[in-house]
Amino acid sequence: MGAGGDPIVSNGFWSMGGYARYVWPCFAFACLVLAWNLWSARRYRAAARLRAARMLVMEAGVDS
Amino acid sequence: MWTWFYKLASPPHVYTAAAALAPWFLGLAAIGIGYGLVAGLVFAPPDYQQGDAFRIIYVHAPSAWMSLFAYTTMAVAGAIALIWRIKMGHAVAAASAPIGASFTLLALVTGSLWGRPMWGTYWAWDPRLTSELILLFLYAGVMSLRSAFEDPARGDRAAALLGVVGLVNVPIIHYSVLWWNSLHQGATVAKLGRPSMPGSMLWPLLSMLLGFMLFYGAVLCTRLQGEVLNRERQAKWVREAIQS
Amino acid sequence: MKVGAWGAMILVVRRELCLSFRRPDQLLQPLVFFLIVTTLFPLGLTLQLSLLRDMAPGVLWVAALLSSLLSLDSLFKSDADDGTLEQLALCGQGLTVIVVAKTFAHWLVSGAALVLVSPVVATALGIPVGAFSIMMLSLGLGTLTLSWLGAIGAALTVGLRRGNVLLSLIVLPLAMPLLIFGAGATDRAISGVSPAGALYFLAALCVFTCTLAPFAATVALRITLE
Repeated sequence: MGAGGDPIVSNGFWSMGGYARYVWPCFAFACLVLAWNLWSARRYRAAARLRAARMLVMEAGVDS
Repeated sequence: MWTWFYKLASPPHVYTAAAALAPWFLGLAAIGIGYGLVAGLVFAPPDYQQGDAFRIIYVHAPSAWMSLFAYTTMAVAGAIALIWRIKMGHAVAAASAPIGASFTLLALVTGSLWGRPMWGTYWAWDPRLTSELILLFLYAGVMSLRSAFEDPARGDRAAALLGVVGLVNVPIIHYSVLWWNSLHQGATVAKLGRPSMPGSMLWPLLSMLLGFMLFYGAVLCTRLQGEVLNRERQAKWVREAIQS
Repeated sequence: MKVGAWGAMILVVRRELCLSFRRPDQLLQPLVFFLIVTTLFPLGLTLQLSLLRDMAPGVLWVAALLSSLLSLDSLFKSDADDGTLEQLALCGQGLTVIVVAKTFAHWLVSGAALVLVSPVVATALGIPVGAFSIMMLSLGLGTLTLSWLGAIGAALTVGLRRGNVLLSLIVLPLAMPLLIFGAGATDRAISGVSPAGALYFLAALCVFTCTLAPFAATVALRITLE
């Protein structure tokens, strides 16, 4: 615990004992990877839905 | 008794199950990762050897573990699809691959950044980092092979076989690199202080691990829906599914 | 005329060797590549034999890996292109028998040839004569394993348009343990330490691969050819 009592606002937390420029990029990259996964998966699913919808429209067009 | 197993082979069932499970997985993952981050970053005490740099373990270890877990899932799903001709296995394998590859990259980057303060270099032929690098190549091979075929069904089967071959090789690769590395060991590799971790360090780690696994489940379910739709575009149940 | 499995294998090996020797330039290309690649390293790094000796096992093995990859593409491709492979698959001997024979024949003209040429290259890299026997043994085991790993890769990529790039991407990560132990055995032989451990591991890898790879390659061929 920092000498100030509240570890979040005291300087010690953000400097990570001097290792800040290694620790924070790691967590930032982790956030990036997790966000990319969510975004990419949702985009993939949306594209698949779109393709399936288009095929249904085409089939309906052919039948009529 | 086996009906639940047979249901797993049915595309509409897989689609609806994945759609239902994904938000739950995501919510639980958020809780696990949230607690892990707060407890690990704020409340866990600094390591006596590595100081605050050890906190990188809270993203490095879960991503490394998930990279292996995802590869195993991909290979086993592919094997099931090859042996029992259950096409949903191919869908799970195809969905797993990019997620696992991204975790492998995360493990490599965080491992490299962790190595800089610990070993003084951004890259070292540490057995685990080297094995992870080779794992990334294995992922690249499987994904490239799948997309190289014009016939997607053939691509699925070829990728499944390669996944199994790769899985068999993963322990070989790991132990080869470990053995080779123990011969080359120059500077001592700084490990995490004591043989066992105190609870305040361990619980956040376990929570992050669980959170990452649930997150993988959530993303897998989302990608799986896309994979199922792509493979079953012609089927009748798709009509209702996408209109909902 | 009924032929047993052994008979069929011998026939296929003889056929492969006949076909290979009919095109001696294609036979020699991987060997020449091996020689050229090994020359690149001294030119790019250092000309002093004493320094080269330290890197020699690795250089030798990387060159062997790369030149083996070159010749792997032709393992199944020409037969698949003109339909011979399908005929062989239907001949009643079982595709695995054919695959074993073809891969063995391929190893004879590429890997075994490489092993025979290796003393020349080794001298150019400063490897002492005393280490030659271990080096050739490790290269023999390694190239055989590599032929099998390559057979799986070749079977998976036969018929693909840019198959040989993908082939390398697939085979090289799987071949990394080979590189570690093959170069390690030679390295140990050079420095006088016993290479037994590395050789045993190499032999284990070889046996493991030679037993399981034929089935994997056969399944792969069935996937890509059907």
